Amino acid sequence: MSGPIGVIGVGQTMYRRQHSDKNTAELVREAVLAALADADLDFDAVDAIVGSVAPDALAGIANIDLASIARPGKPYFRVNTGGASGSSAFLAGLTWIAAKRAKVVLVVAVERMGHAVTAQQIFNSIFDPIYEKDISMSTISMVALRATMLMQNYGFTLDHWAGLAARNAAASLNNDTIERPRAFTAEQVKASGILAWPIHRLEACPTSEGACAVVLADASLVGSRKPAWVLGARGLSDTYAMGDRFHRPEGSLVKLITLERSAKRAYQDAGITDPARELDLIEIQAPFASSEVMAYMALGLCEEEDCVGFTERAIAGTAGLSIQPSGGPQVVNPVSATALIRIAEAALQVRGRAGARQVDGVRRTLSTGQGGATQFSTAVVLGADRP
Amino acid sequence: MDEPHSPLIIPGTWNFEYRYFAGDAATRFFAEIRDNRRIMGTRNPVSGQVMVPARGFSDADYVAATEWVETGPEGVLEVFSIIGTKFPGLPDPPFTLGYVTLDGADTAVLNYITGVDLTDIDAAAEILLKRPRVRAIFKEQREGRITDFHFEVIET
Repeated sequence: MSGPIGVIGVGQTMYRRQHSDKNTAELVREAVLAALADADLDFDAVDAIVGSVAPDALAGIANIDLASIARPGKPYFRVNTGGASGSSAFLAGLTWIAAKRAKVVLVVAVERMGHAVTAQQIFNSIFDPIYEKDISMSTISMVALRATMLMQNYGFTLDHWAGLAARNAAASLNNDTIERPRAFTAEQVKASGILAWPIHRLEACPTSEGACAVVLADASLVGSRKPAWVLGARGLSDTYAMGDRFHRPEGSLVKLITLERSAKRAYQDAGITDPARELDLIEIQAPFASSEVMAYMALGLCEEEDCVGFTERAIAGTAGLSIQPSGGPQVVNPVSATALIRIAEAALQVRGRAGARQVDGVRRTLSTGQGGATQFSTAVVLGADRP
Repeated sequence: MDEPHSPLIIPGTWNFEYRYFAGDAATRFFAEIRDNRRIMGTRNPVSGQVMVPARGFSDADYVAATEWVETGPEGVLEVFSIIGTKFPGLPDPPFTLGYVTLDGADTAVLNYITGVDLTDIDAAAEILLKRPRVRAIFKEQREGRITDFHFEVIET
């Protein structure tokens, strides 16, 4: 990276099941204007725009970003790495500034899945049409497969999945970007019916729509604004084939190798050697409890042997750092935007602007992105101190 | 002042038809299943690992895999999920799917799993958590699709 880069603006719409009163461009505009106002910049100051949209079929419009995110007179490109699209777009924005092609980049993500009447049928279409799609795989069963493997390999139980879901729901009550925060107990999760064993209905993220915009700026333009400085930002791809990840020497399906390696490099960039002690807060892209547990290990927050113990401390709130203070993607998961929201939430925390969900004394944070059947991972470290 | 309008919602569909070109490796893989009831894999010449379902090259090493090896028909159920809820456009529950490593293979293949009573889903899950052995069961009428076979639990 050349000079330091800061997040100087964050804008979010409300996240709700459907924004039936707004078309997509109207939804995007709301987040963009909020981000520019937060950054105290006019649209003229934006040198380039990076858009994040995941599967087109969820919105039922091919390239929904062309009408809703791209702007006349601005360089524009779209990033799609499934659920990691938002953070991958953020990484692309950083690269434009680091390469000195821009001083200010607007990163915009929008999810329009409320258009879809059969979301899980559409998610079935992300799987290989030759070898896998006919087996009725969906994103929920894809996650369930990993959850069963975590139970087999490490001794996790249904109580852990329910406990994390209940903890995240409780946290969401403080998040004013969520229209309908949900609160429930672990017992209610376990009584809510099986979607795809071991996943119960209340553990699964609901259909969610909304837009998120983030303004990135070169240090020379930060001025007197209060930024969240980008201390490290990395991403990696894995193989598409889940069946290839069972017996490979570097780790099984439930070992998120790309996240582990992305985080390790981001920590190096940020000068972090002991993440569990040096990070104050993490926002993990975990739409299900099992996704969160896999990330704990990959992020180096606990040893593999202690992953059940760490999870229990996370449920109890005694893990030593703030985990998912926004409630995370288990509560709202606007797929194309989720990974950018993790970064936006961390930036708000570092800048002391997180409202009722603000955690005291946040100096360093980590946000993850995860997409495409854990094919894509990103790790972004933000901090209060200029690097 | 005008009366406020209720939000307008315009109906739409996106039902396109496609023909997916399966490619060299999958064409032979499915021909072996259809014509010979055999599940064949291809060997990665770098790692020596056998890939099932067959691929023409290894994603990890990017080298051609041209040696064909017969695998199975038995193997181990690595992971599974029992679908308990109806999702529009997907089959009626309950049903089980999972990844199986066939004997002689080093990667796992996804398919439907039968042979366990799903009346009590939690009880069925307890059995499947033990990574039981399974056997490929071929359909009488095969068309060259992954659904030409499924796996049945043979040992619990």
